[in-house]
Amino acid sequence: MAMERVPTGIAGLDEMIQGGFLPKTANLIEGAPGTGKSTLGMQFIQHGITSCDEPGLILTFEEFPQQYYRDAANFGWDFKQHEADNRLRTIMTSPEVTHADLQRISGRIETLADSIGAKRILVDSLSHFERMTADPVELRQLTFQFINGLKRMGLTAILTRENAALLGETPDSEEDLAFVVDSYTMLRYVEIQGAVHKALLVLKLRGSNHDKDIRQYAITKNGLDVRSRFEGTRGIMSGTPTMTHAQAFAAAFLGSNVDAKTK
Amino acid sequence: MTGKEDFAASLMDDMDPRLLELIQTRVNSFIKWDLVRFFHDNPHTTDTADSIARYTGRDVRTVEPELVQLAQDGVLDMEDLSGMRVYTLTQEQAVRELVANFIQACDDRQFRVKAIYHVIRSLR
Repeated sequence: MAMERVPTGIAGLDEMIQGGFLPKTANLIEGAPGTGKSTLGMQFIQHGITSCDEPGLILTFEEFPQQYYRDAANFGWDFKQHEADNRLRTIMTSPEVTHADLQRISGRIETLADSIGAKRILVDSLSHFERMTADPVELRQLTFQFINGLKRMGLTAILTRENAALLGETPDSEEDLAFVVDSYTMLRYVEIQGAVHKALLVLKLRGSNHDKDIRQYAITKNGLDVRSRFEGTRGIMSGTPTMTHAQAFAAAFLGSNVDAKTK
Repeated sequence: MTGKEDFAASLMDDMDPRLLELIQTRVNSFIKWDLVRFFHDNPHTTDTADSIARYTGRDVRTVEPELVQLAQDGVLDMEDLSGMRVYTLTQEQAVRELVANFIQACDDRQFRVKAIYHVIRSLR
């Protein structure tokens, strides 16, 4: 029997995760500034509202709601109208208040979610939880409680997380968070032959198989467009990949184009 | 008050009486005006004075007393949340509509001039 899925509306990503995220799960999208984490999250919310009859929440710890309305409008998504239609609520608050609010029965966030029948949430971004404590064990505990609060409300969540490294691997301490979420997707800048590309990799999808390819993607006027996998290079996630032996041989002896090619 | 001042004051009172009452009794400082606009634009925000001061780009020592007054005047709700005092826009629909009308009216320059006149008078 096929598992129920919560599609993101990003065809290439949905293909990688067997049709979408699992319902009532917490899904971490981690990447450097400008890699499109918020755009991916907004696309997930937009798709839920317009194609799946699933209203959504945006919980933001930094950006003003007006910023989301403006950014969404750039992709042709009318978030302001969704608010007016009671299909979206954009909540700007602090991690401390959010954490305390989720501890109580029928807190404000839960009341807002119930009032519109929300099924999806974008939390932008989880990085702000770090200001609540310097202790990584306590941080993990706080994050775990927060995620369980969202699941209790029946929400499927996208949680964004910033990675300060523009290129290269994630520091070990940051991977700790991957244990408390149900899926973990990394967005990376990759330098190939003097040009910067964007790469997407699904590292983990609890309870389901997933595509292990490292795929190229672009931010287009319609949102994220996840394309085919990188070919002819290795060490993509290091940020500075090298050519495979076959590609290097072709470049040296056959004079072929050595740019990273996609299928 | 001289006759000229009387005439000017009567001109400045020429607005929706509910908005005039709001400005004269509740939104009677420029900080409160800013805060009311912030909560109008962010009607789902519930947060501490520290955070709201940060969002509005002001010092918490300036913002907190004004938040308390707005809560006492029924424009905001104030409650204790796990030891934190938090503020949100009142759930009273009539007050929310009044605030929305005020913010909308502020788009008009003539209205803004009159509102500024009344705020300055109340600050004296």
